[in-house]
Amino acid sequence: MRLLIVEDQVSLADELLADLGCAGYAVDWLADGRDALYQGASEPYDLIVLDLGLPGKPGLEVLREWRAGGLATPVLILTARDHWAERIEGLKAGADDYLTKPFHPEELQLRIQSLLRRAHGLANQTRLEAGGVQLDERKQSVIHNGKEITLTAAEFSLLRYLMLHPQQIVSKLQLLEHLYDGETERDSNVIEVHVNHLRRKLGKAVIETRRNQGYLFNGLQTGNATGLAL
Amino acid sequence: MKSIQQRLSIGLASVLILVGLLLAQTSLWLFDAGLRRNLGSELQLDADNLLAALVRTGDGITLDQTRLSPVYERPFSGRYFRIEFLPLDDLANADLRSRSAWDHVLPLPDQAGLQADLADGPQTQKLLVYRANYRRFGQDLAIIVARDYTPVLQSFQQLRWIGLGTGVIALVIILLLQRLIVRRALQPLDVVRRQVKQLQQGQRTELDNQVPEELAPLVQQINRLLQHTEDTLKRSRNALGNVGHALKTPLAVLFSINARTELQAHPDIVDSMRTQLNNIRQRLTRELSRARLAGDVLPGAHFHCAEELPLLFATLQQIHGRDLQLHWQTVPDDLRLPWDREDLLELLGNLLDNACKWATARVALSIEKTTRNITITVDDDGPGIAGEQRAEVLSRGTRLDEQVSGHGLGLGIVRDIVDHLAGELTLADSPLGGLRVVISLPAPT
Repeated sequence: MRLLIVEDQVSLADELLADLGCAGYAVDWLADGRDALYQGASEPYDLIVLDLGLPGKPGLEVLREWRAGGLATPVLILTARDHWAERIEGLKAGADDYLTKPFHPEELQLRIQSLLRRAHGLANQTRLEAGGVQLDERKQSVIHNGKEITLTAAEFSLLRYLMLHPQQIVSKLQLLEHLYDGETERDSNVIEVHVNHLRRKLGKAVIETRRNQGYLFNGLQTGNATGLAL
Repeated sequence: MKSIQQRLSIGLASVLILVGLLLAQTSLWLFDAGLRRNLGSELQLDADNLLAALVRTGDGITLDQTRLSPVYERPFSGRYFRIEFLPLDDLANADLRSRSAWDHVLPLPDQAGLQADLADGPQTQKLLVYRANYRRFGQDLAIIVARDYTPVLQSFQQLRWIGLGTGVIALVIILLLQRLIVRRALQPLDVVRRQVKQLQQGQRTELDNQVPEELAPLVQQINRLLQHTEDTLKRSRNALGNVGHALKTPLAVLFSINARTELQAHPDIVDSMRTQLNNIRQRLTRELSRARLAGDVLPGAHFHCAEELPLLFATLQQIHGRDLQLHWQTVPDDLRLPWDREDLLELLGNLLDNACKWATARVALSIEKTTRNITITVDDDGPGIAGEQRAEVLSRGTRLDEQVSGHGLGLGIVRDIVDHLAGELTLADSPLGGLRVVISLPAPT
């Protein structure tokens, strides 16, 4: 999942980058409203965290222009303005959620999680569930039959992306675009390696390769769960 | 304080009555005096004619009947005379009297000339009496002639009634006209009065500047004051927003640092730091929110339920997920609340947010307006609060939030706003099964 953070306070942005990076998100950071307006609309972000008091262009205006331009990416407003009149303004401008400063880091993570799930039509439960796989996003592990299978950070973010797109063919390019931030070098072979690791941990049939098309997440259906290497 | 209209009417009526009475009485009096003078000279002629009719006969001095006007013969004709030979004790000459007076004896006035007072005549007549002194045939004599004045008096009385009647009618007409004129003239005042009322009801934010020049300073001053208050409010809210921003962002950084893995080795330090940070946050949020309250400084402030509530509910729905059933209704349908929009949004937002946090599936808001109160009721189907705990919750107003997300100070802020608007907050059992919060706000006068 690739996020854009638009926040002009460097110290807070540093914290957010670190926190969200740990949570397995690929995060880009911008501080100016005008840059955000352009980059938010041109890069394929899965979610945008937007501060309102921005230099260059106020956050609400940036959001309005995004929405006017047809951008459907979920936007979470992160601001010190905590009054209901302002929340309503944010909603009217097209925000999907509104979190006020100061906040606990885990609260932000929960909000991002639930926004992503909602955007992909999944229920907001404690664990992410798709195709019979239960993913604990806090511990970054899969729970199966009461047992916990730990994942590496890269496996976790790959699996989460696939689980948020169940029964959909996801191309390698798409994975590269959504799993890495704008500054990391992208290598499609790395994806293959991680897919293989996941197959080894969860069973071969969990992820199906469609030649020249991409990957398809099947989950742990009763038929293929037998292959689980436990 | 009496209305200007009333004062003008009373003033005009009393002046008109006073002047009218004075004028009517004076003209009657003048007319009366002129008439008497006129009749007096006629009476003098009569007396002269009577003198000429006196003849000396063997019996003494008598009247030549042929030279007398027949009117002196007809009984109670209203024309009378009496001739006295002076001195009075001279028995030889019995006095001569007109037959018309019948057995009534005309009085003998002391002074010659027209008498100022009316004398009683026969048959309740009032007589105008004239006495003239002569000397004829070597004899001093006084001729008294009188004339009935009653018809004149009667017509005066009639005139008075007519005058009074027309006076009253004229007064009524004048007062009505004056009312009309005054109303016309005061129309701008009435317009301003209506606008001030609309201002209070929140239907407008300033007074119309198109007023007569007498009112212009007043209207301009009111508008300036309104503008000033609004600007001040905006400025102070802005400043508070800046303070909030300046303090809350570093706090957010501190919360984030507090959650760092490096610090997890010292859980006691992390805990106490977190507690303190939470305290700062709660205090900051609550104080800033209290400082932002406008209260009723702006008469034009208003909250249009049908416009604001759908947006507020959409926001709540978005924050709390799609499976909550939120419902609202107002009585009457088109309800405007006469308070600052942001204050009310803050009140309702926190109240409903709190209800949504606790509710399992349903939250309902109803706002009802009576003549003196506005009652806001929020119901949820959550766990509710046991009777004995309610007082405790109200006294601190924090417990309700702590348990769900550790965020916000919902009821605390609600309490602040309710206090600020001089209202009352009570907790009860909801028909939906959970908690019912009832807020009663007195409508500003």
